[in-house]
Amino acid sequence: MSQFIQQVILGLLLGGVYVAVALGFSLVWGILNIVNLAHGALVIVGAYITWLLFTRWHIDPFITLPVDALALFVIGYALQRGVINRLIRAPLLFTFLLTFGINLVIVSLLLLIFTGDFRSVTPSYSGSGLELGSVTIPYIRVAGLTVALVLAGILWAILNRTRTGAAILAVGADRDAAQLVGVDLRHMYALTFAIGAAFAGVAGGIITTFQSIAPTAGDPYTLQAFAVVILGGLGRVSATVVGGLAFGLIEVLGQSAPGLSSGYANAIAFVVLVVVLVVRPRGLLGRLA
Amino acid sequence: MSLLALRDLGKRFGGVNALTDVSFAVDQGDVLGIIGPNGAGKTTLLNCISGLYTPDTGDIRWEAASIRGLAPYRIARLGIGRTFQIVRPFPSMTVRENTAMGALFGRPGARLQPGAALKEADTVLDVVGLGEKRNYPVLRLTVPDRKRLEVARGLAMRPRLLLLDEVMAGLNQVEVELALEMVRRVRDSGVTIVLIEHVMKVIVGVCSRALVLNFGRTLVEGPPADVLKDPRVIEAYLGQRYARDQEPPPYPPPQAGEGNEK
Amino acid sequence: MRRATVAIATVGLAYMILAPLTSIDAAQQAGLPLLTDKVWFRIATTVAMFVVLASAWNIVGGLTGYASFGNIAFFGLGAYTVGVLVGIRNWPFGLALLIAPLVAALFALMVGVPLLRLRGHYFAVATLGVGVATGEVVNNLGPLGASTGLYLPIVRSDLLFFYLMLVAAALAVLTTWVILRTRFGYGLLAIRENEEAAAVIGVNTNFYKVAAFCIAAALSGIAGGIFAQWNSFINQELVFAVSDNVQMILMAVIGGAGTVLGPVAGAVVLELIIQTLAGGGSGSVYSQIGLGVLLAVCVIFIPRGVIDFFGGRSRLSLRYLRETLRETSA
Repeated sequence: MSQFIQQVILGLLLGGVYVAVALGFSLVWGILNIVNLAHGALVIVGAYITWLLFTRWHIDPFITLPVDALALFVIGYALQRGVINRLIRAPLLFTFLLTFGINLVIVSLLLLIFTGDFRSVTPSYSGSGLELGSVTIPYIRVAGLTVALVLAGILWAILNRTRTGAAILAVGADRDAAQLVGVDLRHMYALTFAIGAAFAGVAGGIITTFQSIAPTAGDPYTLQAFAVVILGGLGRVSATVVGGLAFGLIEVLGQSAPGLSSGYANAIAFVVLVVVLVVRPRGLLGRLA
Repeated sequence: MSLLALRDLGKRFGGVNALTDVSFAVDQGDVLGIIGPNGAGKTTLLNCISGLYTPDTGDIRWEAASIRGLAPYRIARLGIGRTFQIVRPFPSMTVRENTAMGALFGRPGARLQPGAALKEADTVLDVVGLGEKRNYPVLRLTVPDRKRLEVARGLAMRPRLLLLDEVMAGLNQVEVELALEMVRRVRDSGVTIVLIEHVMKVIVGVCSRALVLNFGRTLVEGPPADVLKDPRVIEAYLGQRYARDQEPPPYPPPQAGEGNEK
Repeated sequence: MRRATVAIATVGLAYMILAPLTSIDAAQQAGLPLLTDKVWFRIATTVAMFVVLASAWNIVGGLTGYASFGNIAFFGLGAYTVGVLVGIRNWPFGLALLIAPLVAALFALMVGVPLLRLRGHYFAVATLGVGVATGEVVNNLGPLGASTGLYLPIVRSDLLFFYLMLVAAALAVLTTWVILRTRFGYGLLAIRENEEAAAVIGVNTNFYKVAAFCIAAALSGIAGGIFAQWNSFINQELVFAVSDNVQMILMAVIGGAGTVLGPVAGAVVLELIIQTLAGGGSGSVYSQIGLGVLLAVCVIFIPRGVIDFFGGRSRLSLRYLRETLRETSA
């Protein structure tokens, strides 16, 4: 029984990571209708920035998170404004291919700069955890989950409590109408993508605390972010939170099932994806249509 | 036996009852006009008949056999064609090819080959008045012509019943007259028609019967002239003031002498 | 422009078919100049392989409008079918090659029925998931060689595999050509242009979509089967690579999606560029960067594909580029 409880706790903690990863992805998809296949790459860029700061100047990974956010914000803004904006009104296939191409370029650049070796970040407290009877709750994971929930709160606040957020939601609802009331579309697109990228960067920073990173380590996260958004539903921050936590649970409980190992991460994501799409396309909390 | 019969048809979307207890019958040769305020459920009704939606309650019968729940392509092949309110042509094909698609796929029984279908298209295009533009790419057509194309594609299926969804929307007076002529030609060729319209001239001009939908329910059914004068209908469209206080409605009711004349 | 292109293409095709014959011993003894070498065969066979893959993708993505990101799974399954039958069970290659497309098509039937109910983004990523997950499952199955991969008995004949792949390519192109001339083809186009309208005029959309999917799968499976024996070794990385899937899409798109010869043009042009960038090793980082940039440039500037230029409809000019940009930019 305690084994099961341990699994559930680990699942929720892992879910925190997925929430962090999926928030930016969900924002960009919901507002801009772009499924960003380079999202995982942006996450990994954030991870590398954290790694650099930790390795060179011994800065605690959680302190580097704002730096990740800022750096990725700038990169994201430039990317959208300079490149992706050129295809925003093209058929979906093309934005897909474009973001895939961007993914290729980013991952290859990372390979050139950092080589394919795995890097890790190991702060002094990484091994310890809270002991509750026979159940261990690693501190690092709790911190990760906390950051993720804080991020969700920040995103919610931005979207629902600021003028900029209102403009973003307007663009997502009806871009023509938004333009008519004075919203600068190109800037808003870039801003939305930049915010999404910033969140991805922070997620990357969190990731370094419990896994080692390599340039290609971001790819699985893209597919998983997609599965989280499908599972939770598009359109609300709470949907992404629920989707992320649920997905973390499914993955941990699924992998402990007999016969399956961690090599099946992508397969599990895919199965969840298809089941949800066939049974309840709008996800757990998504809005109808 | 009626050609098409609906009985207690119901359709919900989430909490909204789009259609409730809708019942009526269409006989061979009829031209039934369906009118009603926006949001009354008219297009939903057509979508149920053509199979794009499955009704939640009730039944739809085609010559006594139930077609409820059938896939759209099966319903098409039974001889039921339809047009869309916002036209849906195939942009990469010419007018002729678009029309031929109806003949290629929609004929009950017959399995035409592309060559034969194109020939069939030529005949149909003359009926709707697009003969001279047969090789135009669709994107070159004006809105009224695109509506004709939609009808042509439906006609190429050699349907026994044709469902027309607001064919007149967006047309000016002259264009409405021409389109009305086209609908009369279709009727005279033996096709039974159910049409949704807001343009009352069409209802009195070609329909043998009219049915009024309001909030998803049938309100009144009968000869067009009677239906349009019915106070309940006036109230539904224009509000109680006109119905109750007998103020003359903005739209003049049909005078004696107007009616199903050419 | 058009006549020149046709002339060049015909000469090129003749060259591709006849040049390899100069490598036969009999031809050498007769004093014919050797027009081909190992590198020539490797590149030419790879080009032919991508012609098959791009054409197959085109049937589902270009003609029917369902952009699949998982067609690589069919290639991989075809490869593993041959790998298992020949490498483990010692079946004759010819027989195994006949089974490969059947396995791929059957798989397409299984996943196609649920997946083809999805549209746009959802379909694209769901198929991406198929591609990735299938590779992952295969990679974990012991009897299939797991992560070490599968070895097949080595058959040394550049000539044989080139011609086999060339025949597969011809088959793929011919299939597309035939489809576009039949009722089936018109039905696919209708589905692409307006699926609801297609349904109400009598197109059995579910059946047509699944059929197209299975045909594409069978063709991809053949290519995979040939590859397995040609390379004598297969593993997840080689035959379930998502980047290959993107490559086949890119080829079909920059060649001209929805046309018969578009994928051919795209495959030839793109593969030659990739081989040049790679300078020998196809996995090099610079070739990946080059591919990524090329991808971005192509989808932004020539979304309708280069076939637009060869058909005489448009000319590659600054004005064309500017208009294309205006259509799709913010």
